Amino acid sequence: MSFAEVKITKEPLMVILPILSIVAFFGIWQSLLSFGVVPSSLLASPLQVLKLFIAKWTQVNPDGALLTTHMWTSIQEAFTGYILALLVGIPLGLAMGWFPIVEGLARPIFELIRPIPPIAWIPLTIFWFGIGIPGKVFIIWIAGIVPCVINSYVGVKMTNPVLIQMARTYGASNWQIFIKICIPSALPMVFGALQIALAYCWTNLVGAELLAADNGLGFMITMGRRLAMPDMVLLGMAMVGLTGAVIGVIIDAVEKRLLAGIRR
Amino acid sequence: MTSIANETQSAKKERAPITVKAVLTNKWFLYAVSLTFFFGLWDYVAYKKILGSSLARPLEVVNYMGYMINHRLAGNSLWGHAWASTRRILIGFSIASLIAVPLGLMMALNKYVNAIVKPIFDLMKPMPPIAWISISILWFGIGEPSKVFIIIIGTFVPCLLNAYNGVRLVEPELYDVVRVLGGNRRDEIFQVCFPAAFPAIFAGLQISLSVAWTCVLAAELVSARSGLGYVIIKGMNLGRPAMVLGGMVAIALAALMTSQLVGLLEKVLCPWKREIEGL
Repeated sequence: MSFAEVKITKEPLMVILPILSIVAFFGIWQSLLSFGVVPSSLLASPLQVLKLFIAKWTQVNPDGALLTTHMWTSIQEAFTGYILALLVGIPLGLAMGWFPIVEGLARPIFELIRPIPPIAWIPLTIFWFGIGIPGKVFIIWIAGIVPCVINSYVGVKMTNPVLIQMARTYGASNWQIFIKICIPSALPMVFGALQIALAYCWTNLVGAELLAADNGLGFMITMGRRLAMPDMVLLGMAMVGLTGAVIGVIIDAVEKRLLAGIRR
Repeated sequence: MTSIANETQSAKKERAPITVKAVLTNKWFLYAVSLTFFFGLWDYVAYKKILGSSLARPLEVVNYMGYMINHRLAGNSLWGHAWASTRRILIGFSIASLIAVPLGLMMALNKYVNAIVKPIFDLMKPMPPIAWISISILWFGIGEPSKVFIIIIGTFVPCLLNAYNGVRLVEPELYDVVRVLGGNRRDEIFQVCFPAAFPAIFAGLQISLSVAWTCVLAAELVSARSGLGYVIIKGMNLGRPAMVLGGMVAIALAALMTSQLVGLLEKVLCPWKREIEGL
């Protein structure tokens, strides 16, 4: 054999350290409360949060809904807004990247709206839609559409000019070049937008729910504060983080599936 | 000196004929059409009260902003509120970037630091910073510290992530060059790592700035006595759309200004960054 088999062994310390750090994190957190360093009105221990998590599956009180109801409301709102943002934002961004007329017409309005954080729309949406689901969907839509448009636009603009010239040489029409060359070559950027938009949507959903809601994970966090129950606040935060992470993983898997044939 | 044959030709400027198509595809013409349409529609909808009385006309908004500059709201003029928000952002943003950027660099340079910090960071990362508002109010009350805390939490993640990825994505050939030229580990870090990671760090700062604006607004909407978020929530409670829209315009301007400031800082501190065409 001309070359030896290379075996990569991880240094044992590198395996232990991450585990140790997580254990220390939860250990310190728990002991801060067990030994009364931090009063229990300010922070709940991990065990308390876990206990509430189990209880909330069956118990409606004190915030008026089951954990699953809160989660379902949040996911519903986030997804409606997210899908709408994709449906509008991606075609708009692609068209802005290729057709000068679309860019000329859409860009000034887009640039006017872009610097306003989506959260700032909340008071206006409460005027317009009340505190129901449509208002929150609108906020999430605004939040999600910006990264979609930017990434699709940049994706089309970054198309290799050699490919466009070649298509032109072979007599492709403007529309054919857009469909056959620009869109496929923009796809990796567009899929990058899916993740960014999701993170934006999820952040702003929590913001919208903190202010105007009667249901949902953000509402649960607010109720936890109003009722001075730190364990509920922490449970809400953990569930928001967890749900966001799970959705992110799902989208990542879908993206890998769909982009399997395209070199990134 | 001999004269060049086409010298006279180059002096004559070629001017494209003005056709309908040329006008229709002119960038500035399209921009003007678009903005006229946008403000026209806005004004029409507000004037005809299609959305009820919940939308103010553009001119009313401008007038109201002038009014807010001259009249105090809860002890502050519009400038005062804008400064209150900006100050919170600057404090939180500086604290977070001073901690997060060195930590991110250290994580990328030292695998032991990485092994200790990364798991905890990954645990915190998916939690939107806005979700921390309630707990920060429990901890710090509704004063300044709770808002600064939210901003620190929000800006920490992109700062650290970009510093970390910036160093990790440095081209390995650059290290080889330094090693070939006889550089030691110190040279590698200071001559290659930091300059190469600088653009990524600044991209992180830009992202954190927009996150910071989201955070400060959310915190001010929930509980505050000053700041631009307070202006718009007050406008909502008083049922004055002009005040809400005026506040939103002020927010957009302030956010734009801070991001221009960071962009300027980047140009001064890191002139070797390659510009990428785009939005």
